[in-house]
Amino acid sequence: MTHITEETLEYLAKLARMDLADSEKAKLAGDLEEILNHFEELNEVDTTNVEPMTGGTAQRNVFREDEAETRKEMNGSADDIIAAFPSHERGYLKVPAVFGEQE
Amino acid sequence: MTFLKDLTIKKIHDGLVNKEFTAFELTKEFFDYIETKDKDVQAYLSLDKDGALAAAEAVDIAITKGEEIGMLAGVPMAIKDNLLVKGLPATAASKMLENYTAAYDATVIKKLKEAGAIFLGKANMDEFAMGSSTENSAFKATKNPHDLERVPGGSSGGSAAAVAAHMAVAALGTDTGGSIRQPASLCGVVGLKPTYGAVSRSGAIAMASSLDQIGPLTKTVEDAAIVFSVIKGKDPLDATSVDVVYGDELLNPKLEDIKKLRIGLPKEYFIEGMDDYTKGEINKAIEKIKSLGIEVKEISLPNTKHALSCYYIIMPAEVSSNMARFDGIRYSRLDALQENEPKTLLGIYHEQRGQGFGKEVRRRIMLGTYVLSSGYYDAYYAKAQKVRKLIKEDFDNAFKEVDVILTPVSPTAAFKIGEKTSDPLQMYLSDIFTLTLNLAGLPGISIPVKQYEGTSELPVGFQLVGKAFREADILGIGQFYERIR
Repeated sequence: MTHITEETLEYLAKLARMDLADSEKAKLAGDLEEILNHFEELNEVDTTNVEPMTGGTAQRNVFREDEAETRKEMNGSADDIIAAFPSHERGYLKVPAVFGEQE
Repeated sequence: MTFLKDLTIKKIHDGLVNKEFTAFELTKEFFDYIETKDKDVQAYLSLDKDGALAAAEAVDIAITKGEEIGMLAGVPMAIKDNLLVKGLPATAASKMLENYTAAYDATVIKKLKEAGAIFLGKANMDEFAMGSSTENSAFKATKNPHDLERVPGGSSGGSAAAVAAHMAVAALGTDTGGSIRQPASLCGVVGLKPTYGAVSRSGAIAMASSLDQIGPLTKTVEDAAIVFSVIKGKDPLDATSVDVVYGDELLNPKLEDIKKLRIGLPKEYFIEGMDDYTKGEINKAIEKIKSLGIEVKEISLPNTKHALSCYYIIMPAEVSSNMARFDGIRYSRLDALQENEPKTLLGIYHEQRGQGFGKEVRRRIMLGTYVLSSGYYDAYYAKAQKVRKLIKEDFDNAFKEVDVILTPVSPTAAFKIGEKTSDPLQMYLSDIFTLTLNLAGLPGISIPVKQYEGTSELPVGFQLVGKAFREADILGIGQFYERIR
């Protein structure tokens, strides 16, 4: 039986870069435990010598020419994409400080 | 209203060509009807009346000039809100994207625009397509037009309800584990999930990239074939899309060819899970199909019972990766946080993601993070990938004996609003008959067993599963089924 402790929950939240509210932790841990315990039935499947299916497609190594192009076929210009960004200045995307306290 | 009720893509095309009505009049009629009807059903998150009427006028001008128009010209459609239409909101029913406007057209949208289709608005859904009832929308719950106390299914519940309530003639949805087929079944419309790679996913807000496909929801199988024939095809912007030539049988199936197809009934899908009403309806469909002269026999897909676990490991793993792009920086930011901005980028990620994602999305991000985390990867994710292979091989083996597989779509008809919201595992079971196809990458269609509108019965759909890139087989059987049901 898998047990999800509060420490595990906080570790996962840190990996996922996502704050959790204290009020939701107990229910969330219980849900995860129930779901993870359901997965234990997979232990009865013999997967010796089975190659994993790593995606949805049988295609491999799809290449295109390594050339710069304007994305006309995307119907969206760089300006449109920058405009969709919440904060921008002179064509640059603005983000808050990455390290430490902002001066 | 009676006029809208009888419309199909084919009838609109004929009406426009024979000048019985204009695209502008038709579009206006739809908006008038939506204004009253959608107060009850709540299928749409946003409407684009100006854009739709302008597009309709362009179709009318082409007709006046004597130009030949395609089958989708002037056809009013609803578009699921996780598909990008340039200049329109694309919220994926999440607070995270509440203020986001699409900067470009999804490839399917570009193709539909070139074909002259009219986009009435963006349809409600479960947040980021995670759910089976449309109750996980951050904005509102859509109701089932057949019974307003029940769910329309999900995640493409808005798309299915809009078509079922005659607030659109056709719609686009996305399907990761059943999100087109299950709401189609619960709302009594047709829903097609194409083969993985048949339709470009560029411009669809990704949920689980190895499982997602875009497909149509329509009133008839013939209409589903028409929409599919327009949106399919290889696209340089989606490396998994494939160039496949579909023959004339996609739109014009012949009964003599259809009769040669053999249908398999996988015994594992009929043992347990289905309620009696659903089972009775599915059996009626099987009898009708036999009456077409098609051979039906029992087959086995032995690993079916492991599909739910396999899916609920792989899907959340991919979800947790895809949701990483929603950082509160790149697409839009929650207004509430702009006032009191945290000091670092990392702090913004934590706060924005903590407040922007709803409960089910958070649950799946946590689950996906867990199964991918160090120490658990092999036990869960790697194991699930191997089981996925076994499930795929089951289908490969079955397709040596038969050409098409028939199964139920959903274990029950539409359930009551609120009935399954507190127990995630119960909700996940809604997709038990549909998610196997996403794991194996196969095409599937949900077809209503009969005409349910005007009866007091709840709709039930049956599923036809085809070989990869053999949409023509399932659409073909469906078109002949429709003529005799």
